[in-house]
Amino acid sequence: MKFIQDTQILFMRNLKKTLSAPLWMALGMLQPVLYLLLYMPLLNNLGNSAALPIGKIAQIFVPGMLVIMGVSMLFAGFGFIPEIREGYITRLLVTPVSRFAILLGLVLERAFALVLQAVVLLFISLLLGLNVPVMGVVLSLILVMLIGVTMASFSYVISIATKSEDGLASMVNTLYLPIMLLSGIMLPISLAPQWLKTAAHFNPFYYAVEACRSLFAGDFGASIVWQGFLIMGAFAVFSVWLAARSLRKMAA
Amino acid sequence: MASDLILQTNNLRKTYLVKKGKESVEAVKGINLQVQKGQIFGFLGPNGAGKTTTLQMLTTLLAPTSGEATVVGFDLLKHPEKIREHIGYVSQAGGSDSSTNAIENLIMQARLYGASKEYAEKRAKELIEQFEISEFAERKVISYSGGQKRRVDLALGVVHKPQLIFLDEPTTGLDPQSRAHFWNEIRKIRDDGVTIFLTTHYLDEADNLCDRLSIVDHGTIVAEGTTEGLKRQIGGETIVIGIADKKQLEKGKELLNKQTYVNKIYGNEKQLHVVVKDGEKLLADVLRFLDSNNVSFQTIALSKPSLDDVFLQKTGRSLREGE
Repeated sequence: MKFIQDTQILFMRNLKKTLSAPLWMALGMLQPVLYLLLYMPLLNNLGNSAALPIGKIAQIFVPGMLVIMGVSMLFAGFGFIPEIREGYITRLLVTPVSRFAILLGLVLERAFALVLQAVVLLFISLLLGLNVPVMGVVLSLILVMLIGVTMASFSYVISIATKSEDGLASMVNTLYLPIMLLSGIMLPISLAPQWLKTAAHFNPFYYAVEACRSLFAGDFGASIVWQGFLIMGAFAVFSVWLAARSLRKMAA
Repeated sequence: MASDLILQTNNLRKTYLVKKGKESVEAVKGINLQVQKGQIFGFLGPNGAGKTTTLQMLTTLLAPTSGEATVVGFDLLKHPEKIREHIGYVSQAGGSDSSTNAIENLIMQARLYGASKEYAEKRAKELIEQFEISEFAERKVISYSGGQKRRVDLALGVVHKPQLIFLDEPTTGLDPQSRAHFWNEIRKIRDDGVTIFLTTHYLDEADNLCDRLSIVDHGTIVAEGTTEGLKRQIGGETIVIGIADKKQLEKGKELLNKQTYVNKIYGNEKQLHVVVKDGEKLLADVLRFLDSNNVSFQTIALSKPSLDDVFLQKTGRSLREGE
């Protein structure tokens, strides 16, 4: 079917572009890896508490890093805006290729690159003493992919609306920090005062982080797990729909 | 639609809403176009005249506010996806993917039009030969000169052998040699039976390259015809008289207007354009006439009718002023 073939052609082109500049991929991973190496050790000395039991620090900290990698897909637009500017996207829009295939080619490639990065991060975590069930890893990677799809799609929506790296940069900066702080990525939200806990419950990424932690702990039946998948799945569907709509209305 | 027409528009219009004041800007104010098969059709006008907006509508990128159009035999509003199969478009920005080389660009473009891998590779080779790309075909696009990149952009536009190709300001920024080369490529494409619709703000490009023209200004078409036909409309040769002083200019205009040999007279703030049948003979007469009537002028010259004269006569401005 032409739709699938077109998506595949564009996916491969996008992946090739990413792999032709491995330095950018490596730099994209630098932040979470540095957190693992230079920040996680501090948690070991915080004392033994219910939120951070000794021996399970990595199990609690690494899920946060996975989610942060997914959220980092907000940066996807920085590779996309130059493609708008050089007329490459317009060129695609004039071909008989479906707009949705163009978008999927972009978004799925970002999700794939994200999984590659996440796997590397997990390997480093294993070396640092992470203990995690295989099923937990697989399900977490799926969850992180949903986050990546969502964030990349939003990034494309902003890129099409602003068509400027400056506009995208200020949006990313505005979104990034609250998402991070209100989801308990660095430390569990269970340490927070009540009002902060309440606020976190309005942040969809909180559910993703907590779901990921339950998966790492092997607690697959926890209700936070299906809640996390449901919320992130809904966000992914909505954001992809929104991005496809933006692309359809874009005249470059 | 007559069988020899490949594109036709009826009162095509695009109005943008400026969000805050709910003001609307009319970029294209009801354009009627007719493009015949196998021609190089030029859309000549200054920057901001609505050329790109029109092109974006005709290439299915932008929905018209109102009006109708038929492109390659299909209704623009009802069957944009059919139109996309049979047209090519090279935007001002170009369109080649700078992250890879010309070969990869061409192969992918062919595949997006449904070609098999084998055919896409064969077609890419053909185009690399046709557009003399081979010398740099394996280098990344980002390293190309302006002229080289333009050739790849054009090749990308004709990968699928379209019936009609749209070129938006195709030679802007090219050096004279690359431009001449590019013009030849466009002529070759036309000789292969492809219709070309190009926008330009260069008079010489419209003059040398186009079989037929529509001149556009402020979103409306002000003149239409062959280059020769448009020039003939001027009604002869033009004596251009430069007069710096405004009063003198008015006086000269008034006096000359009464002369029977003057077919038409028009001008801008610094020049009078006097259209006459036999300019070479009359130049001396005009000169003596102005002198004896004490109209002081700084320059006087005879010019064959040009497209700029057509534009000036229709709009009161020169196309050259904008450059």
